[in-house]
Amino acid sequence: MEIFAQLVANSVIAGATYTILTLGFNLIYGATRFTNMAYGVVAATGGYAFFFLTRTVGLPMIPSIIAGALFSGVVGVLTDRLIFSPLRKKNVRPSVHVIASLGAFVAIQALLSIFFGAEFWTLLPSGTVRVFDVAGASVTEVQWWIMGIAAAVSGLLFVVLRFTLFGKVVRALSDDEEVGKMLGINTDRTIGIVFFIGSMIAGLGGILVGFDTGIQPTMGLFILIEAAVPSIIGGIGNLAGGVIAAFLFGFVENFGIWFIASQWKAAIAFGLLTLFLIFKPEGIMGKK
Amino acid sequence: MNYILHLGTFFGIYAILGISLNLLVGGTGLIWIAHAAIFGLGAYVLALLMTKVALNFFLAAFLGMCIAGIVGCIAAWVFARLSGDYYMLASVAFNYIIVSVFINWESLTNGPLGISGISRPSLFGISFAGNESFFALTFLFLGLVYVSARLIMHSSFGRVIKAIREDEEAIRVFGYHTLLYKIMISGIAAAMAALAGALFASYIAFIDPSNFHVMESIFILGIVVVGGFASIRGSLLGALILVLLPEVLRFAGFPQDISAHMQQLVYGIVLILFMLYRPQGLIGEYKF
Amino acid sequence: MTHNKDMTILEIKNLQKHFGGVYAVDGLSLKIEKGRITALVGPNGSGKSTLINVLTGLLPIDGGVVAVRGAELQYIVSQKIPDYGITRTFQNVRLFEQMPVLDNILLILTERNVFGALFERHGESHLKKAEEVLRLVGLWEKRSELAINLSYGQRKLLEIGRAYAMNSDIYLFDEPFSGLFPAMVKTVEEVFHALKASGKTIILVEHDMGLIRRLTDYVFVLDSGKLLAEGIPDEVLGRKEVVEAYLGE
Repeated sequence: MEIFAQLVANSVIAGATYTILTLGFNLIYGATRFTNMAYGVVAATGGYAFFFLTRTVGLPMIPSIIAGALFSGVVGVLTDRLIFSPLRKKNVRPSVHVIASLGAFVAIQALLSIFFGAEFWTLLPSGTVRVFDVAGASVTEVQWWIMGIAAAVSGLLFVVLRFTLFGKVVRALSDDEEVGKMLGINTDRTIGIVFFIGSMIAGLGGILVGFDTGIQPTMGLFILIEAAVPSIIGGIGNLAGGVIAAFLFGFVENFGIWFIASQWKAAIAFGLLTLFLIFKPEGIMGKK
Repeated sequence: MNYILHLGTFFGIYAILGISLNLLVGGTGLIWIAHAAIFGLGAYVLALLMTKVALNFFLAAFLGMCIAGIVGCIAAWVFARLSGDYYMLASVAFNYIIVSVFINWESLTNGPLGISGISRPSLFGISFAGNESFFALTFLFLGLVYVSARLIMHSSFGRVIKAIREDEEAIRVFGYHTLLYKIMISGIAAAMAALAGALFASYIAFIDPSNFHVMESIFILGIVVVGGFASIRGSLLGALILVLLPEVLRFAGFPQDISAHMQQLVYGIVLILFMLYRPQGLIGEYKF
Repeated sequence: MTHNKDMTILEIKNLQKHFGGVYAVDGLSLKIEKGRITALVGPNGSGKSTLINVLTGLLPIDGGVVAVRGAELQYIVSQKIPDYGITRTFQNVRLFEQMPVLDNILLILTERNVFGALFERHGESHLKKAEEVLRLVGLWEKRSELAINLSYGQRKLLEIGRAYAMNSDIYLFDEPFSGLFPAMVKTVEEVFHALKASGKTIILVEHDMGLIRRLTDYVFVLDSGKLLAEGIPDEVLGRKEVVEAYLGE
């Protein structure tokens, strides 16, 4: 029974992390309409920035988290200004954006390897960690933080998108860019801001993933899948669906490991993605 | 001299990979990032058959091509209904799952340790163990692949494949069962990639899963991008450039531990630059 | 001229096609007579193009039945429509853009079977037939030009040539005359006459009333997915309810 409780706890924590990653991905996808393959590695830069700030600069945790997320935001918006915005102006087809994002993915991952080495680092200092017992499951203090941050960011994003003018603009854009242009919105600049915010959220997600499983330059690909799978399962553009799917994904992954050895965790994730792409590409909620 | 033969052999192997991916991608117009997995499948089949059953290289390579061809056909059938973005993500998932199998099915594949002691080809007493003769064999196969690819693209089949790329729905109206065509070209491309895998395994005598990751698939896509989509000759040029590039970088004198990552950084930037300034590739004619 | 039941080549019985709550085709029933040029007219959104898309398998049938030469079809698969003797053009001209004009026609003439196509290179007979078609629509000189480089009118002519090359029994033309200069209109009319002389059946979606009166034998007027009126052009097009349907759009 304790194992069950632990699996549930782990699932919820995983779901919280994936929620963050999915929200950022969904936000950017809604504005740009192509699968940005560099999203995952941009998220990883957040984890690395946190690592650098806490280990090398010696900054405390909270400012490092904020600065790390900001750094990812900057990296993300740079990819937009340097690569995707010029491509949008040339009016190329989405495949060109996708291949360019593959290039960005490869280049940024290489830069991380060059500056930080290819090996794996843990983000949190080892030592005594406060652990809480919740109905038989062990939850560390950090994991509570993860859930708290995920809830806070989701709530904040929901409020911004629903009730602010900027949020309305973003939602109009994600419905139809042409409509956005007609309404006189500076779509290029708005997309830039969306990139910044979405990448910042990604960076936050990267830090959370780092808390859980450490960081290494190759984590970008897996983060991308962790973000894209719930997005697709929940229905692209459907934020609520994405959140539900993120938790579903966390549960399936963790309970799946119970039955199959943990080394197959990635294969489970990818298998799930494939199945959904084949059988229900419009998502659980059915919105395309 | 040995150095040039070495580069030449690698060029041959990657040119086969580039040509086969170009048939698939330049034909269907979709982005497929799993060619390295098929490459690996061919390599592993050959390695296993040669080391465990002492099968002749040519027979083992042929079997690898058949198995890969079937896998390629099945993958095409399973992913057929997916559109652009989803198809690409599914191919990433597919690559990941196959490499997961290479890593985790240790009883068969020896897991992360890989398979060593793969010998050079020999046939009726003629040995291709020497670097000159292996290079000649590689070039012979490259020639066969090149001629086959040209014949395919100049046949009625090739014309249909191009039309599928242009407007699949429209070409169906005129009586073409487009799914069968996509399955066929996938099978052919997969068989060619497996041949490259067999040559690769025999040449360097040792393979492990790390040779066949998604990154490698992106690299092979880079060959197609640089040379030009839908241009068979372009793939030769692309392979030449991308195989020589690391050698050129070597002279820049980067320290040993980051030179591989510097190469990766350059590839990423090359992809981005081509998408920005020459998406049709060096000698491709496909207008984006 | 009444409708001769024995000569029905295509019949639509109570056809339904809806998108969400919108009924694009709403219980439509009509009979197309063999060898005639039949027009489908109606204001925008009356369901004409949707009907063509359903008949050619691009959209699934939601209700009702399509009967070709008496054989009823519950569902239509695009790649089989040549087997039913049907071919079409598209309102928004869908050519194979980055391929030469000649190849756009050769595609129609070459082997359909996957294995057969793999081992076939087009030959003299294919080229001869392609030349015949391209000369008919006046595009033989442009045969090496990429389709994407043609003018609007030339693109429409190429589409019509492509359909002509199919040598089908039933031709569905979706606004083939729109945007054409008079010289090209004449070319298309010649194609129509050639088809009719061979006993082919033509179904034509068109807005130009003058053309309809001059060219067609029978007219169906659609409105909001339903059949509003049918009959001889001169008689039907002047009717009050037809004029009102158009004015109301």
